[in-house]
Amino acid sequence: MRSGGVHGLGRERCLPLVPLAARIVNPIVWVLPGHAVHKLEQFALAEHGSLLDMTAAANRCEDPDRAAAYLRHALDEGRHSQMFVRRARELAQEQGRPRPGRVRADTEHLFQTLGEVDFLAFVHRGESTGRQQFESYQQWFRSRGDVRTEQLFKALVHDELRHEAYSLELLTDLVPAEQVSAAFRKMWMRDLWHGWLRLGRPISHGVYLAGMLLLYPLLWPFALWVRVVRPRRSGW
Amino acid sequence: MSAVLGVSAYYHDAAAALVVDGQVIAAMQEERFTRIKNDASLPFHAAEACLSVAGLNADDLDEVVFYENPYSKLERVLISNLRTFPMSWKQFPLALGAQLGTKLWVLDQLAEGLGVPRAKVGFRSHHESHAASAFLPSPFEEAAVLTVDGVGEHDTTVMWRGQGSELTALGSLEYPHSLGLLYAGLTAYCGFMVNEGEYKVMGLSSFGQPRFREQFDKLIRLSADGSFELGLEYFAYMTDPALGFGPKLEQLLGPRRPVGRPWDLDSAEDRRFADVAATLQQVTEEALLGLCAELRRQTDASALCLAGGVALNAVANARLLRDSGFDRIWVQPAAGDAGAALGAAMLGSVALGDGRTQLDTMALGTAIDAGRGQAVARSLGLVAERVDQPANVAAELLGRERIVAVANGRFEFGPRALGQRSLLANPAGAQTRDHLNRLVKHREPFRPFAPAVLADRTPAWFDGEENDMTPYMTTVLDVRADKRDELRAVTHVDGTARLQTVRQPASMMRGVLESLERRTGSPVVLNTSLNGPGEPICATETDALGFFVAHRVDALLLDDVLVTRP
Repeated sequence: MRSGGVHGLGRERCLPLVPLAARIVNPIVWVLPGHAVHKLEQFALAEHGSLLDMTAAANRCEDPDRAAAYLRHALDEGRHSQMFVRRARELAQEQGRPRPGRVRADTEHLFQTLGEVDFLAFVHRGESTGRQQFESYQQWFRSRGDVRTEQLFKALVHDELRHEAYSLELLTDLVPAEQVSAAFRKMWMRDLWHGWLRLGRPISHGVYLAGMLLLYPLLWPFALWVRVVRPRRSGW
Repeated sequence: MSAVLGVSAYYHDAAAALVVDGQVIAAMQEERFTRIKNDASLPFHAAEACLSVAGLNADDLDEVVFYENPYSKLERVLISNLRTFPMSWKQFPLALGAQLGTKLWVLDQLAEGLGVPRAKVGFRSHHESHAASAFLPSPFEEAAVLTVDGVGEHDTTVMWRGQGSELTALGSLEYPHSLGLLYAGLTAYCGFMVNEGEYKVMGLSSFGQPRFREQFDKLIRLSADGSFELGLEYFAYMTDPALGFGPKLEQLLGPRRPVGRPWDLDSAEDRRFADVAATLQQVTEEALLGLCAELRRQTDASALCLAGGVALNAVANARLLRDSGFDRIWVQPAAGDAGAALGAAMLGSVALGDGRTQLDTMALGTAIDAGRGQAVARSLGLVAERVDQPANVAAELLGRERIVAVANGRFEFGPRALGQRSLLANPAGAQTRDHLNRLVKHREPFRPFAPAVLADRTPAWFDGEENDMTPYMTTVLDVRADKRDELRAVTHVDGTARLQTVRQPASMMRGVLESLERRTGSPVVLNTSLNGPGEPICATETDALGFFVAHRVDALLLDDVLVTRP
């Protein structure tokens, strides 16, 4: 799973921030009406985004063994995305809400922009973050007696552990230990920067929308003018 | 030497096309590289791949041509929002943000992203790019040309006369009166995704009766001169970016269909949507026939070229060939916005003094690297062996009712898999359609699969001859009544098939069909695209291997490498 969560440097040095944050917000995000469906959809989207990045890595990596490893990972992410969508649809149906449609993620072309070493460090960190989150959710749903959702997260945790292990293994095979640490530091900084950007995006969007809505009523003279000089045309 | 790169982007289905000395060297959609279906982002991956196929660098380009005028487009967006003031309050900030934030600067972005001087980057208009993509690579020296889509800058429909390398506009219809947006609005109403679900509506239409004609007369008024006008009060695309149709449409036709609900055509509710689709199809055909009649009157041409998204309606194209009075019709196979990149490149090339050339293949993408595919397949634990005669191997498997994935040579440009990235199966198998739908494609049960047939055997299996459209699956023919049992899996409920006639010598598909005919007596195969649900068609050997591992097909041929499970 791709994640931009802020936490430690690699699996062995992870700070317990992610499970802690997850435990704090679980009672809110999973219980609010309709929010569980939305949350599962968001996970499906993240998994689909990860599928795109892993597929690009499989296509661009020259080594066939590593390409095969990336392709396997991509296929897992595709399967995870579908699992989330299926569960979201089940929940939506149970709650009488609109069924989620097909997810459609975007890609930042991470393999290309980061290079293979940093990409592997990014993947390892993302998998580690995802695994910790999912473990927390698994416990939450177990405590609520929701076996189906618990089993969903259990299956995902199993795969995330495998992804964590292989990505670290490939990384340590590719470069010496000091470069591995450097890559983790770089990705940690990247996560911080992207976290800041993510925080800023809705704020700037809100400011823009508010500004435009204030501006909009001032357009009425132009609206009248356009109707006179450029009326709607019908026919040839 | 002249080299021109055409680019389409920022609406849907971005693409790049390269024309060198008047020859179409490469054309590819960005989605094949990013793996995002109908990816609209600037097609830098596709452009890089086009240049790589030609062995050129960006420095070698004489011109980069964008497929529409970004300034004129901004003007239309502003004017449209002002015309609908104050109803456009929700759309205005988003539309203006998209225009001023990115789309207005597209020429600068292309120059920077490709690494070419800004002075080399220009544009042609949206519909001129479409028209060029339809006429310049066509087999005709002179033709009437019709471009019909959602909207370009201001125009939605344009009639042209094509002569030599010249295109002359004869008349246009302007936004918001748009056949493409009518189809899109009703696609959304039927619960499908706009720009993806239009084929589904076309497939669904065969299951219904056009009983909503009276209601549709309010949605679109057809005039005797071929023009049309939409009943704008039923549509919301001018004021609501999220929805193509308005509440009045639901009052007129009944409640919309919820997105994602499984189809049951035995239920009255879903039959209503089939009837809506059938009426829409009938009205679309009549609108196109009206346009063709006016175009024939103005040009007196015997041949017609079609482009724009509406030209991908294969059922309507068959009706036009039958009833429009034109003797021949050519539909540029990538008729949507992707194909406009090809038109833009050809316009640039012609302006530089190059001649026009006929397009005789759509295999304009990058090639398979079978050696790499074999190595990756083995790393995945699959069996991957080189075979001497891959076409014979495929035919032998098909004869045993196996489903065979084929990734062969360069991938196709446009929405159709024509044997380069295809999934092949026996068209007679009673279970084939269900099996493919349930386990591989996960498509709605009403969507038909298409056949490929040896071109000179067409009359023996279908009511009709090979024509200018059949090599590219842009039209339909009736399946002969005595052959429907043998072509069960590819015969639609209305008895038609969206066939591909195969003539190209030395092509893999031709080899498969010839071998199949020798073995089984039937030169027909079910041919569907090599992709899973919601995915772009596979491009590389790695994409094909991913598809093979994820889906229950029996074998994969990567050029001459046969991949199977251990």
